[in-house]
Amino acid sequence: MSKQKILMIICVVVFLLGIAGSILVLLTPHGTQVNIVQDGIVLYTIDLTTAQDQTLEIEYKGRTNIVQIENGRIRMLEAECPDQTCVHMGWLDSGAMPIVCLPNHLSIEYAGSGDNIDAVIR
Amino acid sequence: MLQSKEEKCMKRKFNRIFLVLSGIFIMILAVSSLVMVLFFPELLSFGTSDNGEATKELFAMDTYITMTAHGWDAETAVAEAADKLTELEQLWSVTEPESEIYAVNQSNGQAVSVSSETEDLLSFALQMAEKTKGALEPTIYPVLKAWGFTTEENRVPSDFEITELLKNVGYERVHMEDGSVWLENGIMLDLGAVGKGYAGDLAAQILRDNGITSALLDLGGNIQTIGTKPDGSFWKLGLQAPFSEGTLGILEISNKAVVTSGAYERYFIGEDGKRYGHIIDPVTGYPAENGLASVTVIADEGRLCDALSTSLFVMGADRAMEYWQLHQNFDMILITEDGEIYLTDGIADMFTLDSYHSNMKVNVIEDE
Amino acid sequence: MNVRKMTQLAMLTGVALIIFVIELQIPNPFPIPGIKLGLANIITVYAVYRFQAGEVMMIVFCRIFLAAVFSGNMMALAYSFAGSVLCLAGMLLLRKIIDKKHIWIASVFGAILHNIGQISIAALVMGTGILVYLPFLLLSGCLAGAFTGGCAQLIIRRLKETMRYDES
Repeated sequence: MSKQKILMIICVVVFLLGIAGSILVLLTPHGTQVNIVQDGIVLYTIDLTTAQDQTLEIEYKGRTNIVQIENGRIRMLEAECPDQTCVHMGWLDSGAMPIVCLPNHLSIEYAGSGDNIDAVIR
Repeated sequence: MLQSKEEKCMKRKFNRIFLVLSGIFIMILAVSSLVMVLFFPELLSFGTSDNGEATKELFAMDTYITMTAHGWDAETAVAEAADKLTELEQLWSVTEPESEIYAVNQSNGQAVSVSSETEDLLSFALQMAEKTKGALEPTIYPVLKAWGFTTEENRVPSDFEITELLKNVGYERVHMEDGSVWLENGIMLDLGAVGKGYAGDLAAQILRDNGITSALLDLGGNIQTIGTKPDGSFWKLGLQAPFSEGTLGILEISNKAVVTSGAYERYFIGEDGKRYGHIIDPVTGYPAENGLASVTVIADEGRLCDALSTSLFVMGADRAMEYWQLHQNFDMILITEDGEIYLTDGIADMFTLDSYHSNMKVNVIEDE
Repeated sequence: MNVRKMTQLAMLTGVALIIFVIELQIPNPFPIPGIKLGLANIITVYAVYRFQAGEVMMIVFCRIFLAAVFSGNMMALAYSFAGSVLCLAGMLLLRKIIDKKHIWIASVFGAILHNIGQISIAALVMGTGILVYLPFLLLSGCLAGAFTGGCAQLIIRRLKETMRYDES
């Protein structure tokens, strides 16, 4: 097989891997606990089934991110960062994909599925 | 060269077209499946149809209730349980003018006949008041009202007001006879401290009567479980951290009820900057303040958990531990305001702190 | 380097910058960090098949530096830099193998490598949790790379110059 064909096949394989991976990532189940992590440090652990509607302000080097919890869901409400990707991600949905604000090193993610809690005593 | 140049050319062209077309085809497949999955996440839940699982959510007794039952008759079971809960709300609410408790409170010393459930609840409450030497006080309602915890308009009552109100507090002045209740003058009943737990017990009983052997009831944070999870594993319950959002650990149980009480649930900050919680010490008339942040009780019956979680909170850590030594028909987890944990040896192995709270000191209370 | 060459490189850098700035205005339907069309890479791919390695690197590094300045996002420089280094390394190596008719393949590889570079830096900064985005970035890299590569290929085919990348 010519080199071009080999390379083309590699491209297709990577492509299919991308699809498979994307589907896998979207398929990952999740519990109800979320972690808000900055610079690798967990700032908050929150159980979405019991958390009250609220907003959390998190500062990083003078820039603020505002996280909103409403009706058992969580999202990045506002962010002082150039690209606003994190805000456009909307409500945290997938078990594997966190909401990430790269410039401010902030991420909202579901905690490991080992913590799958059936209910919260409160 | 066995092929003419034209044939080779044609072959190459076909090869190329073939490749390009297959490439486009794959791309369309990929993009469309991505889009489908992004917009229809339900497509991803193949093979998770649960046979014989039913969940019911309702709002009753001022609280959000979720019940999940596993079993063939789960659907009917939870529906029946939900009806019962709504019925009980009608009977026991202090503020509903149609409720039995309301009628008793307005009766001005007259005897009011009540249903058997109310009778059971009340006699249980009075028994527990006796056992806890008044730490559980079903007649504390006027004081609770004075602090504004019934209306959300909180205020700090004066010492004089509290002393006056305390004159009308005392469970000994509630009388029951032959299905009727009468209160001495000025007494008002509020069974909120035990009502939810009791209701949970009745709902769980209905599920059991329907043959359910695995269920989880969450009555605004009061948990009742039947059996284990369908796969045989214990129910994993997160324990609310009293000082912050989120949980501080996991309690694994089966076939037990668990209730937590603490000032952190409802409180207000007074003008003096002090924090006033909603659990009133019936002796002083002030919010109980003895170093405990939360009390969690685990027992077979929700009513016991409910009654004890409030009264043990009022008692404080030392008296709570004494009480446990004496009775031992339950397990408990005490969290002090200093962030220390005391738990009874019966459930010591069932409780694990999560990684963010692993530095909390844990003490096991042993049988003396 | 003679003036003519310098002018050519400068112009290409300028064009790439303009494309980049225009692309910034296009709203991004995918809320995933790192997914973008990367239209400015049409110039990069073209350069890889037209100029020497050193000259290509000049264009690219100038462009990403100025792009960071123009977009007001200097922090993105680290990510762009890592991505571009990997991307260029890959494409420059591949150009020995791939002929002009299949330039889009090189572009796909370049895009994939670029995204890998970016996400690696992100993982250093944010922790390995962010690596979950890799499948999406691989996917978008394939698609965007094929598109920009295809464009570059068309351009190269239309332009009448001969490819001089192996001349000094």
